[in-house]
Amino acid sequence: MPQYSLYQEESQPSPWQRTWEEFRASHIAFTGLIILTLFFFIALFAPIVAPYDPLQQNIDVLLVPPSWESNGTITHLFGTDALGRDVFSRIMVGCRVTFGSSILLVLIAMLVGVTVGTIAGMTSGVRSSVINHTLDALMAIPTLLIAIIIVAILGTGLVNSMWAITLALIPQFIHHTRAFVRSEMKKEYILASRLDGATSKQLFFHSILPNMIEMLVVQGSLALSIAVIDISALGFLNLGAQPPLPELGVILADGLDVAYIAPWNVALPGLTIFLMVLAINIVGDGLRSALRKRLSH
Amino acid sequence: MIKILIRYAILFVTTLLVLAALSFSLAYLFPGDVLVNLSGITPHNAAQRAALMRQYQLDEPYIFQFIHYVGELLRGNWGYSFVSGLSLREEIGIAMPATIELSAYALLTAILVGVPLGCFAGLRSYSKSDYIINSASMVSYSFPVFWLALVFILIFSLEMGVAPLSGRVSLLFDVPDKTGFILLDIILAKNIDSALALGDALKHLILPTISIALISTASMIRLTRRSVIDVLNSPYIAAAESRGLSKSQIFFRHILRNALLPILPLMAIQITTLITNAMIVETLFSWPGIGNWLIQAIYQRDYPALRVGMLAVATVVVSFTILIDLFNRFIDPSREKYERATV
Repeated sequence: MPQYSLYQEESQPSPWQRTWEEFRASHIAFTGLIILTLFFFIALFAPIVAPYDPLQQNIDVLLVPPSWESNGTITHLFGTDALGRDVFSRIMVGCRVTFGSSILLVLIAMLVGVTVGTIAGMTSGVRSSVINHTLDALMAIPTLLIAIIIVAILGTGLVNSMWAITLALIPQFIHHTRAFVRSEMKKEYILASRLDGATSKQLFFHSILPNMIEMLVVQGSLALSIAVIDISALGFLNLGAQPPLPELGVILADGLDVAYIAPWNVALPGLTIFLMVLAINIVGDGLRSALRKRLSH
Repeated sequence: MIKILIRYAILFVTTLLVLAALSFSLAYLFPGDVLVNLSGITPHNAAQRAALMRQYQLDEPYIFQFIHYVGELLRGNWGYSFVSGLSLREEIGIAMPATIELSAYALLTAILVGVPLGCFAGLRSYSKSDYIINSASMVSYSFPVFWLALVFILIFSLEMGVAPLSGRVSLLFDVPDKTGFILLDIILAKNIDSALALGDALKHLILPTISIALISTASMIRLTRRSVIDVLNSPYIAAAESRGLSKSQIFFRHILRNALLPILPLMAIQITTLITNAMIVETLFSWPGIGNWLIQAIYQRDYPALRVGMLAVATVVVSFTILIDLFNRFIDPSREKYERATV
């Protein structure tokens, strides 16, 4: 036992622990996290959990209403579509396709964006300024436009639409990484490591990257919600995933033909996309305010 | 001042050149014949083909082809559509104003509703009303726009029948196309009942506008609220309070101006989202805008139309973004570069 205690608190939580404490204090953010985890598990285990094969057509049970309606059955929880496919299974597998591909493409965009952004942030001069400004202006081009062009060159398909959205997301990551690296490079702890003889590679991996992770998580959550909406929008417009593949936007577009007699075919996939995006946004917002509170204390 | 103007002009021209180069390379990247992709005319015999080759200078090196291409673009010779055979410039001239009109009304709604609500929520931060507004904006921010528009169609058009399903104005009104903006055209039109036509056009406008505006309003509320809270925490507000200024004096003199300043550059990012949403909503409401036109073009693999359409939309979006940025630079010289914050 030391003679005097330097700190008044019993324990000194790490920055991450403090963020987590702040995050947990908000009930809404925590609920969002639970829903997001649920979606994550559905995405991981959909083929095992889904009661039916999402592609299996059954002409005996066409357009069965969901189980909570008077003439629905419990064997098809969310009812069936115009080809007798089980909507519940389709939505589960749809979450896997939509959510899974969104996570994947955000990770790719993040990797590319951070690499380019770091290089742009560590160098300076007229050339980098010209590239940066042009990049900023090109950032304004809508995703849908990029997607249309990629579809025209490569043809439709889930992978092609993923490339389009990745391309549209990369500039954001570049921009934020560049701004972050620029401001960090001016700080004194970087100067100290530099005086110790650290190379720029060491500077990045040991000093800048650990501080950047929080920014990346927040930006990643924002990008993820954009990615989910865009992937399903492209599927809906028949520019992304193609019909037999149960992607949430495609399921919604399929249901459109029978929207008037079987509205659940439009309502339920749309609601799923909405819930997914809402959960991502709530978690991202909770994370941001937790970080803000931590920094302001 | 002049230095800034020159810098932005250079930025603008460089960006446009990059876009034009992209558009030019699309003629080579798209499947099919380069000549057909570039001109939109399918040559019937060798002589016509040779003439077209010479006209588009396709036998010269790429760099001269590109210079020629830019010249043709500036002269207004944008090629012809595969599908309709019409001049692309005329088609885009009709479609583009429709989209700009729709987006403008949505943006206006978003500003008129979003900024006051955001100020209200920010001033009463962490109270019950702030909580409600914040949650509501979070919910409406998460709507996928295509689903929202579908739900609106199902409820208001099919179930209740209060709003029309598609188009800009009832076919009963013969509105001559002068400016491309439907409300202006109706006012300018001579031989129709303007009041009736205006009412009809507004009815057509309301559902698409609300579907787009709901999402933009939500982000506007969140941006304004955050900005107002940040300003409230700054020392000059405490100073103003200690001088004994009234609440409304503090709000109008000190909070409002300083809070709105950082919102403007963020609006530049909103434009991209806005145009994307407008393009999707157009296809659902059969609104004769550029988004609908482009998506029809991709369904029919109309490559010349895609090549020019992409350039047109990108140019409009980039010009608006750079203009807002420039404006922001003038009214707020303290801001070095434009910032992109989170919603």
